[in-house]
Amino acid sequence: MTISVTGLSATRSGRTILHSTNMEITPGERVGLVGASGSGKSTLGHALVDTLRAQGQSVAHVPQSPDEALDPMRSMAFHWREAEGALDLPADNSRQQGLFSALQIEGGDLRKRPWGWSRGMQQRFVIAMALIGTPDLLVMDEPTSALDPVVAAGTMDLLDAYLPSRKTALLLITHDLGLAALRVKRLMVMEAGRIVEDAPTAQVLSAPRTQAAKALCAHRNWLELPC
Amino acid sequence: MLSVDRVSVRRGANMVLEDVSLSLAPSRTLAVVGESGAGKSTVINAVLGLVPCASGQITWNNAPVGLSRPALVMQEPRGAFNPRMSLRLSVMEPVTARGRAIDQSRLDRLCNGLEIAPDVLDRRPTEVSIGQAQRAGILRALIAAPPLVLFDEPLSALDAVTQKHTARLIAQMQLEEGFAALIVTHDLGYAAAFADDIAVLRAGRIEEVTASKAFVEAPQSNYGQILRDAAFALGALERVA
Repeated sequence: MTISVTGLSATRSGRTILHSTNMEITPGERVGLVGASGSGKSTLGHALVDTLRAQGQSVAHVPQSPDEALDPMRSMAFHWREAEGALDLPADNSRQQGLFSALQIEGGDLRKRPWGWSRGMQQRFVIAMALIGTPDLLVMDEPTSALDPVVAAGTMDLLDAYLPSRKTALLLITHDLGLAALRVKRLMVMEAGRIVEDAPTAQVLSAPRTQAAKALCAHRNWLELPC
Repeated sequence: MLSVDRVSVRRGANMVLEDVSLSLAPSRTLAVVGESGAGKSTVINAVLGLVPCASGQITWNNAPVGLSRPALVMQEPRGAFNPRMSLRLSVMEPVTARGRAIDQSRLDRLCNGLEIAPDVLDRRPTEVSIGQAQRAGILRALIAAPPLVLFDEPLSALDAVTQKHTARLIAQMQLEEGFAALIVTHDLGYAAAFADDIAVLRAGRIEEVTASKAFVEAPQSNYGQILRDAAFALGALERVA
């Protein structure tokens, strides 16, 4: 189902931090939301998830750190049961095994609490939980920043392999244009609470129009920094 | 010259560093990279004497490292500051503890380069963003012109553009003042761009120490190659035509 929202906005302490924003994402589309710190990326991500949920659409959110999603006092099995319950889904061992296999966390002991798993496995578990209901849209907020590069690259590769067959669209929120360049087909660039550029990834990278996009492109590659 | 000579560190029954040898000359930058839990931060803790070495020796110019008054940029930006003090008091401690007067022009220059607004320093660590706290941590490390600076994931809370501005300021200060920099980082792009050498640590052991340009082209160890390829897959490194 195509994701379509209009008039997303947010204020904090009387100040507008997200100006009225419309967005449309087609099934299976891979979109990157990039911008500097404080540009409103995460605010837009939260507003989008809240609005879609209120509309009854199937959307899942993966936060930057697994600490935000997992209760240190609860077992991993508890988290899984709770996620299934929140979606009114019965326990389904084959679904669980399928997701664990796709994200390569079959070896995790569900009786343990989060800190009994490595950070990489925790983050993959959170992603697996997000995919339980085969959402129309998966919103991932800086999904790799807490992971070491080997685990991070592996996790993104696993998602690349898993999502297309489910037609689940991806909104990848990141300040890292290098990551987005490799993983999404369309880029939205945010600045001061507005989407200032929305175009195919290749077009933004080759001919950025706005100051925000130009700054990101100029600082995309560590080995080719502008003077 | 920092010399880490065949150092092992034990935690309980486990060896968290095993037979690690590294050297770092003034004006040079060494990046230590590796997976989570490899022992990267333990290297810094061992250099500072915060964890005891089970064997081996760590020296700066053949004397205990502590005598050189090294500076540290800690991994957890807000937790690195006393929550009851303003950032200004914390940032000035390396200067005041040495009984020196504050060099206002140096402070202004560093604040300018690190994009720290003057009023930010008058706030407490809980009243600033993580990125602001991280830049204040770098300011505190550089303010007293130390001969050795240890950076533990110094740019992790900054956005892509600010990361590069900050990295460039650190490199400029190093060029002018000649401090030795030991950087622990996940970010191979940063390591490749700003470090002279890259040391790959895995399960507490050094897999290789290679000049950074050579490392990007051809890591010497299998694990170094896995790390390098992961950085390419994440866009942290790009193949330059």
